[in-house]
Amino acid sequence: MPVFHLLRDWLSAIILSPYRMLQSVLYRLNILRPLPAENKKMPKFYQDDEAWADIEPLPQDDGGMHPLAAIAYTEEYSEAMGYLRAVMANSEFSQRVLGLTEHIISMNPAHYTVWLYRAKTISELGIPLQDEIAWLNPTALKHLKNYQIWHHRHTIIDALGSSEGETDFINTMLGQDSKNYHVWSYRQWLVKRFVLFDKPEELEWTADMIEADVRNNSAWNHRYYLVVGGRGGKPNEELAKREIEYTKAAIRKAPQNQSPWNYVLGILRAAQLPKSTIKDFVLEFADINKPDDVYSSHALDLLADIYAEEENNKGNAEKALDLLATKYDPIRANYWKYRKGLLQQAQVAA
Amino acid sequence: MATIVSESELNYSRHIKYWRRNLKTLLPHFYTSNDSNRMLLALFTVSALDILGDLDAALSPEERQGYIDWVYGCQLPSGGFRPWPGSDFGRLSTDGNKIWDPPHVPGTFFALLTLVVLGDDLGRVKRREILVWLIRMQRPEGGFGETVDEDGFIHGGNDSRFGYMATAIRWILRGDLEGPCDGVPDIDVDKFVTCVRGAETYDGGISEAPYHEAHGGFTSCAIAALSFVDRLPLTSSQKPDSAVRGITDLPLLLKWLVSRQTATLDADDGLDTLGDETDTSETCHDAHSFVKLGSFVSTQADTNMMKETTHAHFELQWVGFNGRCNKVADTCYAYWNLAPLQLLGYMDIIDQRPVRKWLLDKTQHIVGGFGKVTGDPPDMYHSFLGLMVLAMFGEPGLQDVDAALCITNRAKKHLESLSWRRQLLGQSRDQRVGLVSDKTQIDL
Repeated sequence: MPVFHLLRDWLSAIILSPYRMLQSVLYRLNILRPLPAENKKMPKFYQDDEAWADIEPLPQDDGGMHPLAAIAYTEEYSEAMGYLRAVMANSEFSQRVLGLTEHIISMNPAHYTVWLYRAKTISELGIPLQDEIAWLNPTALKHLKNYQIWHHRHTIIDALGSSEGETDFINTMLGQDSKNYHVWSYRQWLVKRFVLFDKPEELEWTADMIEADVRNNSAWNHRYYLVVGGRGGKPNEELAKREIEYTKAAIRKAPQNQSPWNYVLGILRAAQLPKSTIKDFVLEFADINKPDDVYSSHALDLLADIYAEEENNKGNAEKALDLLATKYDPIRANYWKYRKGLLQQAQVAA
Repeated sequence: MATIVSESELNYSRHIKYWRRNLKTLLPHFYTSNDSNRMLLALFTVSALDILGDLDAALSPEERQGYIDWVYGCQLPSGGFRPWPGSDFGRLSTDGNKIWDPPHVPGTFFALLTLVVLGDDLGRVKRREILVWLIRMQRPEGGFGETVDEDGFIHGGNDSRFGYMATAIRWILRGDLEGPCDGVPDIDVDKFVTCVRGAETYDGGISEAPYHEAHGGFTSCAIAALSFVDRLPLTSSQKPDSAVRGITDLPLLLKWLVSRQTATLDADDGLDTLGDETDTSETCHDAHSFVKLGSFVSTQADTNMMKETTHAHFELQWVGFNGRCNKVADTCYAYWNLAPLQLLGYMDIIDQRPVRKWLLDKTQHIVGGFGKVTGDPPDMYHSFLGLMVLAMFGEPGLQDVDAALCITNRAKKHLESLSWRRQLLGQSRDQRVGLVSDKTQIDL
């Protein structure tokens, strides 16, 4: 509950502030020493490590006096990269290299060849793929927005041929950020790879995600992926009906939420049904004869489209667009004016 | 463009200072996670200074040459560029280990552009080799990847980012010529366009792959790519042809792009509405319950209704852009959503003033550059894209830019003037090359 969080944060700020102030004063006076953070590891160096004594590191040649975007590397990173180049140049695939790739990934997860090199090392050493996934789970949580990590996961899970445990992992990731694009994208890959479109649990889980946050557009999109994408873009009439009813219930909860409005329009289009199919429903939220009783700007927008498709009802469509431009969605006033212009053009042409 | 009456100002000297510092001193170590994207940061640095009109002043001839040589240092003997010196094995390079130091699509794209901005003639670029390699980077279904391995397997995500960069590389090296060029076959343009169409979503945007969620970044990359291969939807003044064109539903795409405008500018705005999007001052309150929007309407809206005007509401002084439905505004999405609007010639369906004001008042940082959201410290990525948007708006004092290439039109003209390129394209085609940007300039 966000309200609860707010309250909790506010209370803890009040209660803890004198303590923190005292703490900072004591630090400043060198009376109190901050404890080393638990998760802050000591830097790892290879030059003093017996196990690496046979390797001569290959330092980076930054190409003369004028490198672009040169970074103030830490000594730890520069050194580790030197060892990585040396072993990659020599195509060494070993347990110690596996550790080295992990070390590099923790500092530069976007290093695209280190991931490929790691995958090759795993296959050369015959490391169980489950072990790699077990390592990858906490690593993914540390780098929520990295592309390479997902490419690597695809490779491993594809080779493993099983999606077992993946839904739990996804739930943990979505617990950090319920709209993480990579995670949803990965879920869609899983559904396709293991043909889960019609698995009842998949749709139920999606419904739970929408229930938890009706404005989670990623969850709505996933529903579309299952219902329409799983059927080659052509849902049958019965299915379309079910989806329309489902969406209506969600809109009644929060009429100004654009996600379900977009969703229902997508369903109508895929099922080749006209927008007027849901005209009565739309009128519950916006009626141009009652311009003060509007519950949703998206309903008003849809109403404009429905009227525009009707014979001799362009005037009402224009009224709806005017209401949007001036009162209910002025942030997009220029767009609504443009839409009105299109209506008028169509009239002239007719 | 209407005159802007506002105290919001672009702090030129701070932005110049910010970018000069990025050019001349080491970037802080937290950029290490971007070490493999250094060529991207290189382009941002030189192009930002060019947009600010400071590039010539910032560089001595020796430095300019030094930077050009650094970029060429990232060119691989077999053609194409690595995006950083980090994967170079130097004296230890062999045929056996070159698969771990492969040419890279983003590395090549950003290297070529950086050279263009620095005024190089691309004379040392292994152009033919790049074009041969580019064909190998296209997947059977039409999209492009990041690198290709010894077995011909194409690595990297399967989304429009690499398609954008691959088609840009093709445009830089051979313009909009279709078919074989200089004995090198062309990429499969029709298949690429079909691939883009497959990623159009039910709500009108473009996603990573068929039926995935629409996203501003992928939408922008796809539209720019279509412009590079000259396959955008035809405008009413263009003659119909038989080419496969992108975007099956332009009106829906336009609606999706304008719907990315939001008044949810920071996490606090999101908090006020329990994490929901604030579309406008009037529509933010009803998210949790079934209430009349009219109950919350401002006096400004009522005045608007009476006068039938669309005077900006006080609350709408600042308008941001998000990247997906129901998300918070973010500086970079102003670029990702406005670039396609400009390339399609529809910049006038949004109001630029509150967007400009949002960038200048909310995400511009006091030390120069732009942050991601209100109050964030600047980073090179958001700083560059924020500056691009203001240049696209025609901000006085900034050089005009090409929205798709992210370089100034000055730099683009330099590329178009190169003799090898003119020769390749033939004199008569010279006028056609700048078509897209010329068309969209009128809309500003």
